[in-house]
Amino acid sequence: MIREQRNLILNTLTIVLLFVILWLFDRYGTDYQIRILNNIAVFITLAVSYNLINGICGVLNLGPNAFITIGAYTSALLTMSPAEKKISFIIEPLIWPLNVIQLPFGASLVVAGIVATVFAFFISYPVFRVRGDYLAIVTLGFGEVVRVLCNALQNITNGPLGLKGLKPYTNLWWSWGIAVLTIIIVQRLIDSSWGRAMKAIREDETAAKAMGIDPFRHLLLAFLISAFFSGVAGGLLAHLITTISPTLFTFFLTFNLLMIIVVGGLGSTTGAVIGATLFAWGNEALRFVESPMQIGPLHIPGIPGMRMVIFSIILMVVIIFARKGIMGQREFSWDWIFSKIRSQRI
Amino acid sequence: MNIQTFIQQLINGFTLGSLYGLVAIGYTMVYGILRLINFAHGDLLMVATYVVIYGMALFSLPWYLSFPLAVMVTGIVGILLDRVAYKPLRDAPRISLLISAIGASFLLENLALVIIGGVPKPFPRPPIFDKVIDIYGVKVQVLTIYTPITTIILLLGLLYIVHNTKVGKAMRAASRDFETTRLMGINLDRVIALTFMIGSSLAAAGGIMWAMKYPQVNPFMGIIPGLKAFIAAVLGGIGSIPGAVIGGFVLGIGEVLIVAVFPGLAQYRDAFAFLVLILLLIFRPTGIMGEAIVDKT
Amino acid sequence: MAQTFFHAQHLTMQFGGLIAVHNFSLKIDPLEIVGLIGPNGAGKTTVFNMITGNLTPTSGKIIWQDRDITALPPYEITRLGIARTFQNIRLFGNLSVLDNVMVSYHHRLESSFWHAILGAKKYRREENRIREESMKLLQMVGLDHLAKEPASSLPYGQQRKLEIARALATNPKLLLLDEPAAGMNPQETLDLARFVRNLRDSLGLTLLIIEHDMKFVMGLCERIVVLVYGHTIAEGKPEDIQHHPEVIKAYLGEKKHARH
Repeated sequence: MIREQRNLILNTLTIVLLFVILWLFDRYGTDYQIRILNNIAVFITLAVSYNLINGICGVLNLGPNAFITIGAYTSALLTMSPAEKKISFIIEPLIWPLNVIQLPFGASLVVAGIVATVFAFFISYPVFRVRGDYLAIVTLGFGEVVRVLCNALQNITNGPLGLKGLKPYTNLWWSWGIAVLTIIIVQRLIDSSWGRAMKAIREDETAAKAMGIDPFRHLLLAFLISAFFSGVAGGLLAHLITTISPTLFTFFLTFNLLMIIVVGGLGSTTGAVIGATLFAWGNEALRFVESPMQIGPLHIPGIPGMRMVIFSIILMVVIIFARKGIMGQREFSWDWIFSKIRSQRI
Repeated sequence: MNIQTFIQQLINGFTLGSLYGLVAIGYTMVYGILRLINFAHGDLLMVATYVVIYGMALFSLPWYLSFPLAVMVTGIVGILLDRVAYKPLRDAPRISLLISAIGASFLLENLALVIIGGVPKPFPRPPIFDKVIDIYGVKVQVLTIYTPITTIILLLGLLYIVHNTKVGKAMRAASRDFETTRLMGINLDRVIALTFMIGSSLAAAGGIMWAMKYPQVNPFMGIIPGLKAFIAAVLGGIGSIPGAVIGGFVLGIGEVLIVAVFPGLAQYRDAFAFLVLILLLIFRPTGIMGEAIVDKT
Repeated sequence: MAQTFFHAQHLTMQFGGLIAVHNFSLKIDPLEIVGLIGPNGAGKTTVFNMITGNLTPTSGKIIWQDRDITALPPYEITRLGIARTFQNIRLFGNLSVLDNVMVSYHHRLESSFWHAILGAKKYRREENRIREESMKLLQMVGLDHLAKEPASSLPYGQQRKLEIARALATNPKLLLLDEPAAGMNPQETLDLARFVRNLRDSLGLTLLIIEHDMKFVMGLCERIVVLVYGHTIAEGKPEDIQHHPEVIKAYLGEKKHARH
C-alpha cells in the first residue's frame, strides 16, 4: 500500500514537473525548440499505441499509417470552416454534412480517434484471420488502400490536392497532454489482467487459448485502442504541419514507428517513449547530413536520403545484434531508481 | 468494347501477369524454404534496371551484354541480402526476420536514392523491341509477346532444375522439412544461397522487362510491383512455383481487364490486388495450389 | 436421470489419408482417475486435442456435463471446466511465474477493461484477490518463492509443476495431464502421484492422464485405456491391463521364445 501511494505521488510530481518545463519552453523557447518538443510528444503518442499491438500482443501491424491518415483527415475536415472548405474543394465539392460542420479542435480530435477506431473494427475480421507475415501484409495492404482512397475520393478528401491552410492548433499543451494521457491509459491496460492476457497470446497463443483466453477479442481490443490514439495523433499532426495530402502518411511513417519501438524495446512503453524522443531529436539532428555543408574551403553537397540510410542501418543492426533494444520488455519503475540510489550510497 | 480491343487487353494482361509471375517465383521459393516473406525482393527489380542503365551509359555495353550482367549482379545482391539480413537470424523469432527484411528493403531503396538520385531516369529500351506487329487487326508490340514467352521458358527451365537435379531435390527437401534437412548433412546454406540467386535473377529478368514496358525508373519502383507479385504468389498458393506464375497471370489479367471494362476504376488499380488478397485470406487461404496458412493449432 | 459427466463417442480423426484416431469412445465418471497409455504415435495427444477443441474430430461427439462440446473452440471448453497441460511445456516464458498463473483467472473476471483503465475499486479488488489465490496455488506446488522469476528461467521439473498450477487456476472439473511425469526421477514421480491423488481427494477433480511411466500409471490410475495406432485395444483395471495379451504384444512384440 505504501509503495502504491509513493508511486502515485512521484508520478504526479513528475507530471507537474513536466508541465512546468513545458510552460517555460512555451514562454521562452524558440520556435525550433517548440517544434521539436511537439514532434516528440506526437511520436510518443504514436509509438506507445503502436507498441501495444506490436510489442505487447506480438502482432506485426504494418498499417498504422492508415489510422493516422484517417485521423488527420477527419480532424482537418472538422476544424476547417465551411467557407475554407468551399475554397479548397475546387474540383469536386465536399459532401454533406461535412461541408457545413465545424467543430472545435478538441472535439475534432475525439471524433478523429473514433472514426479511426471504427475503421479498425471493420477490417479486424480479415486481419485477425491470419498471423505472422500474412497479417503484416494484410495490414500493409490496408495502409495502401487508405492512401488510394484518399487520392480517389475527391469529394471527401479533395484528392491529390490535399487540405491546406489548417489552423496550427497543436501546441505543447495539446500534444503533451495527449501523450501523457496515452501513456497512462495504455500502461494501465498493459498492467491489468488484459495486458497479461495479451502478453500470453504473444508468448504462446495455443497455451493462451487453453487457459480460457479468446485471442480475437483481446487482439481486437488492442487494435481498437491503438487505432484510437493513432487517429488522435493524426489530428495533432495535421494541425502541426497545417497541410495534409495522401502522400504524407506513407509506409515511410510506419517504418519510422517500427524503428522507434524496436530500438526502444519491443514490448516496453518506456522503450517506446525513449525511442520516440531519440527519433524526433535524431531526425532533426541528422538534417545536417542532407543539407549542404561548408567546412572551411570544402563545400559538401547535401545527400538527400542519407538520413533514411542511417535509420535503415540502425534498424537492421539493432534487430540482428541487439534485438531486445534499449529496454527489452522491462519498464521504468520507481523501485528500480530507489534501489540504484541505495546501492550508490552503500 | 469490341473483340479486338478485348484481345489487345487480354494480351496486355497476360504480359503484365507474366512479369508478376517472374517476381512471384522468387517470393514463393524463399518462403517455401525459410518461411519468410522477403520484403526486399521487389527492390531487386529496381537494382537490375539501374545496372542496365549504368552498364549501357557508363560502359557503353550493348543490351545483349547489359541484360545478362544485370541478371547476374542482381543474383549476387540476392545472395548478399540473405547473408547480411537473414542468415544471422536463422534461429530468431519470426518477427525479427520480418523486421530485418523491412530494414533491408528500405536500405536498398534509400541507398539507390543516395547514390543515383531520386529523379526518374529513362530506361534505354533497345530499338528491336519497339516493333509493332499486326495480328488479325490487333496491333501488338513484339515486347508484349516476348515477355510471356520468356517467362514460360524460364519457368520450365526452373521446374527442370527443381525436379531433375540433386540441388533441386535438396531445395524441395528443405521446403518440406527445414530442420531435418539441416540435420542430414546437406549444406543448407548453399541451397539457400542458390535459392536466393535463382529467385533474384528471375526478379531481375522481370524487372528488365517491366522497365522496357514502363521505361521510367526510380529507386522506389519496385515496391508496388513487389507487393502485387507477393499477392500473386499467395493467390497461386505460396510455396508452389507453377502456382506463382499462374497467380501472376490471374492477377495481371484481372487487373487489366477490370480497368478496361470499368475505366472509372483506373485510380483504384493498385487497390484491386489488395482486395484480392483480403478476399483470398477470408475464403480460400490455400490459394490455387498451395498449403494452408490460416491459423490452426 | 443422472447427468452425463464426460462421454467421448466414436471419435475419429483423419488427416488426409491418415487415420490418426479410429472410433475412440470413453466414458468418465466424476472423481475417477483414468490413464491413457500406448506406444509413441498411438494418437493419445490427438485424443486430448480433440477433447480440448484444438482439433475438430472428423466424426464423433463429445458430451460434457450434458452438453455437446465437439465443435467448440479451446477457450470455450476451458471455460466450461476442462483444463489441460501440454506434453512439450508451453509456458509463457517471458512472463513471471506468478503472471503465468494469474493469466488463468482472466476468463473469469467480472470487471470490464473500462474498470481497469479507470482504476476502479471493483477491478483493483478483483486483481488483489486473483493475486492472493494465485500465490496460494503456487504455495501448493512449492513455487511461491519463485513468483517473480521469469517462467523460462525455471528448471524443467519446476516448469512442469507450473504447467499444472496454471491449469488448476482455470478452475476445472476435469483435468487432462499430458505426460506429467516425463523427465522425472523416481522420487519426483512418487511425489507427483501423491500430488495428483490429492487433487482428486481434496479438490474434487476428475483426471485423465497420458503417461509412459508404467509404475506411475499402474499405481495411480483406477482405470486404464490402451491406444495403439489410433485403436483402443484394451480398457480396464490396472491388473487386467498388465496381463492383457494384446497390450503385452503391443509393447513388447510377440514373445517367440521364452526367456531362459
